[in-house]
Amino acid sequence: MNTDDLNFAYKVRHALNEKLDDLPSSTTDRLAAARKAAMARKKADAPARAHVQGTVFAGVASQFFLAPRAWLGRMSVVIPLLLLVAGATGLYHFEQEQRIAELAELDAAVLSDELPLSAYMDHGFNTYLTQSAQ
Amino acid sequence: MATDKELNDFLEHVERRAFKQAVYAVRKEESALDIVQDAMIKLAEKYGDKPAAELPALFQRILQTTILDYFRREKVRNTWVTLFSGLKPGGDEHEDFELLDTYEAEQGSSAAESSADQVERAQILDLIDEEVQKLPARQREAFLMRYWQDMDVAETAEAMGCSEGSVKTHCSRATHTLAESLKAKGIKL
Repeated sequence: MNTDDLNFAYKVRHALNEKLDDLPSSTTDRLAAARKAAMARKKADAPARAHVQGTVFAGVASQFFLAPRAWLGRMSVVIPLLLLVAGATGLYHFEQEQRIAELAELDAAVLSDELPLSAYMDHGFNTYLTQSAQ
Repeated sequence: MATDKELNDFLEHVERRAFKQAVYAVRKEESALDIVQDAMIKLAEKYGDKPAAELPALFQRILQTTILDYFRREKVRNTWVTLFSGLKPGGDEHEDFELLDTYEAEQGSSAAESSADQVERAQILDLIDEEVQKLPARQREAFLMRYWQDMDVAETAEAMGCSEGSVKTHCSRATHTLAESLKAKGIKL
């Protein structure tokens, strides 16, 4: 935008500002009332809000509601995680025990048999069995 | 953080121009007053704790949004009015003309009491006012925010939701359109 354009724009601005003085009093009164209504509903400052919260839970109640709330929040995450880890570990151990018990049963069955294990490896004994069967 | 006084001073400083901006957009003084009131309340309620330096851009953004909301509501209302207008003789257009006549008469009446020069000056101001109102909406918004509300290009772009380049283009076009239309009416600023 060149200087002439800027000058023109500021002359228009001046004219518009002059027009503002012609606004009827009913309009300016209404605008002032609107401003007051807006000011009455102004957002409270942040420190003021914190102060109000503190006074609502005064004394022992404030310690009960405010401080442990953060601790409870942390616990609500930590406790389920701990339960999950404990559950998974328990399940793993249970499965291991089951497997060991099954293997032990098999071993016990083999060991408690009448024939010793080395007998199955002896070819002469196999021949004896075959012949005695005939 | 804006104090009560800073917010009050800011609103007092911008309320008349905001009203005229709303009148340019919606062309109804009563609706424009409602829009400015809504915008002021929204600013105070939601952004009353913001620094004073941020208030102009925030207020313009809220004002533009409130004007857009008004047009949306009007569109819905007009749909229903159009649906039921066949059931009774239409008097709405006639009422609009009456409002316009009343508005023009009010503007003229204050000037009529003044001297000849003042009348001529008032007429020129009215013509400039009319030509600003006739500008395309986006050009008018950009022009008014930049040169009437003293907002910089970045703030205007943020309030209008467009790029800084678009703001410059809108401003340039608005200035040229205004200059040509005023020149055509024999007014040279």
